[in-house]
Amino acid sequence: MKLKLPHLKVYSVFSLFGALFLLSVSCELPPRNQSAAVAARASNPEPVSIDNEEYVMVTTAVTMPMYVNHDQAAFRRWGKKMNVKVSILGPAEWDVPAQINTIEEVIGTRPTGLLINGTDPAIAQVINKAVAAGIPTVVYDSDIPGSNRHAFLGTDWYEIGRMQGEEMVKLTGGKGKIAYMGILGLTNMDQGFQGLLDVLKKYPDIEVIGKYDDKANVEEAAKITSDVLAAHPDIAGFCGFDSNSGPGIALAVREAGKAGKIKITTVDWEPEHLQLVKDGVIQMLAGQKRELFTWYGAQFLYDMVHHTNPLAQNDARAGITSVPYIINTGLLKITAENVDEFINR
Amino acid sequence: MINKILQDRVYSLGLVLVTTALITSLVFPSTFPTFENFSQILLNLSIDTIVAVGMMLLLISGAFDLSVGSIVAFTGCFTAYLMHFFNIPVPLALAAGMLSALCIGLTNGYLIAYQNINPMIQTLAMMGIIRGCALLVSGAGIQNLPYWFNAIGQSKLLGIQMPIWYMLATVGIFTFLFNKTIFFRRYYYIGGNEKAADLSGIHVRKMKMFAFMISALLAGFAGILLSSRLGAALPTMGRGLELRVITAVILGGATLTGGYGKIPGALLGALFMGLIANIMVISRISGYWQEIILGLILIATLWLDKYLQRKYSAIS
Repeated sequence: MKLKLPHLKVYSVFSLFGALFLLSVSCELPPRNQSAAVAARASNPEPVSIDNEEYVMVTTAVTMPMYVNHDQAAFRRWGKKMNVKVSILGPAEWDVPAQINTIEEVIGTRPTGLLINGTDPAIAQVINKAVAAGIPTVVYDSDIPGSNRHAFLGTDWYEIGRMQGEEMVKLTGGKGKIAYMGILGLTNMDQGFQGLLDVLKKYPDIEVIGKYDDKANVEEAAKITSDVLAAHPDIAGFCGFDSNSGPGIALAVREAGKAGKIKITTVDWEPEHLQLVKDGVIQMLAGQKRELFTWYGAQFLYDMVHHTNPLAQNDARAGITSVPYIINTGLLKITAENVDEFINR
Repeated sequence: MINKILQDRVYSLGLVLVTTALITSLVFPSTFPTFENFSQILLNLSIDTIVAVGMMLLLISGAFDLSVGSIVAFTGCFTAYLMHFFNIPVPLALAAGMLSALCIGLTNGYLIAYQNINPMIQTLAMMGIIRGCALLVSGAGIQNLPYWFNAIGQSKLLGIQMPIWYMLATVGIFTFLFNKTIFFRRYYYIGGNEKAADLSGIHVRKMKMFAFMISALLAGFAGILLSSRLGAALPTMGRGLELRVITAVILGGATLTGGYGKIPGALLGALFMGLIANIMVISRISGYWQEIILGLILIATLWLDKYLQRKYSAIS
């Protein structure tokens, strides 16, 4: 039987009631606060197996060169040295919900330990789920507040911003116009921006002319830079906050024939960044010790599982962990003076 | 019988799905065929499927919408923004969020149907605009959403998380509408031959506008559901979703030229992609391979489909 349009209303009303009904009989509401997750942890879940040890790293943007060359390379090296299986999973794009989905699916396979890139505070819930399932869980890069992760290793992004700010003040003599760019909408980068601004605002002769979104894209960073150069020919410096900001800014500054005159500080130390420092286009790199995040992160997982340093008769039963809670791996300051040490490493 | 199975994508894809699941169960007997894993697969594809239903509707009518991923992000962020910064009660914020999605769909639909702007260009432009708006309202993302908002996506019914039920309800309702109402069946006519549909008295423009509105509304619903499930609204939500959803829908039997496709195909297409993603996680295939494998599967499926159609239409 075919129905005509007016009946649609009847159906939409029906479906609305259906949805409301589903909602009302929905019997199991989520826990009101984190205490349920904590209770689950205290209830001493089944310990992970160490017969077929396997450590799993879950990140997002798994193909990003910086992640591949530093985080993942060190993690693989660690696996080889310890003679245990390591796996690296996650979506190819920057897609936090997809990272969450991957973690959820990995929990079901009960790996020996989970090493999670702290991409966004929104992953707190799934971290708690892993911890509640009894899987040792270490977060690296950015900490996840409100999560029950066992340990965190990373860099203070506020400090990255401050380091750039202080160097920029030194390079420009504390005066002139400054622009900065990165990926907008990321918590850690916002902290970096804040660190930079907190330093720069102490210098009244410095004028911050804008914050730009280069979408982690070299071409976009170069385009923004040339637009800013056209609008402010007297600009003194640029600060970059993602891996592609530096190469993009450098490209545009070089094309404008102002290399060395306009000061550039940025993050990361991929080969192209180092070469740009060597060429005198970029003046300073605020680098992270990313290798240490994953090497020691994996080691912490291993030590938890193997009870390397037991602090109680049974650490899990006592509700404690026997690894450091927070590790700040510190920053690398790379300038023309020490850049060769990194190029020839 | 075999003819029917091979010619109807809903059956052939269903068969492929079952076979794949059976083989995987034999290879990973302890991790794959568990209730937890299956409900996880369904939960992970629920958002995509809800958007895919809208996309299926559009593709049947001969159009597509690239802005759905951005609508997911914007609606989630806008709803969260209202609740978090203005303390607007949850139901009102939900209504406002859905209304904003509807307005985006209306704008897309009006410009495409009445001003004859190319759907790809229009929705591509809208994709950028709406993503920018999502960044504007949410900054680095909004956390700590009200409990009752989070309950929408985090509650469970019969041990299964709510987004799965919403997904099944959406697929069920639209399957019913497409099977039983003249209004929705007209979309096949429009997709098959727009001019003929117009000449036969169908309000093609109005119907096309409605299609974009329904698709945007479903994307908006998916956005609210996703941020409720995450307990946070992120401006990066739904990145690349549009292409994933179009892939799923085409796997499920739609064509870019319009006139073909069934709503359950959207679910099956998404299910197939979710299954492949799950198998790759379980077998620890690195993320580098995921997109390559999905791309190859899409090409292989379409090629096989063309091949079988040629072969069997020749026989019959």
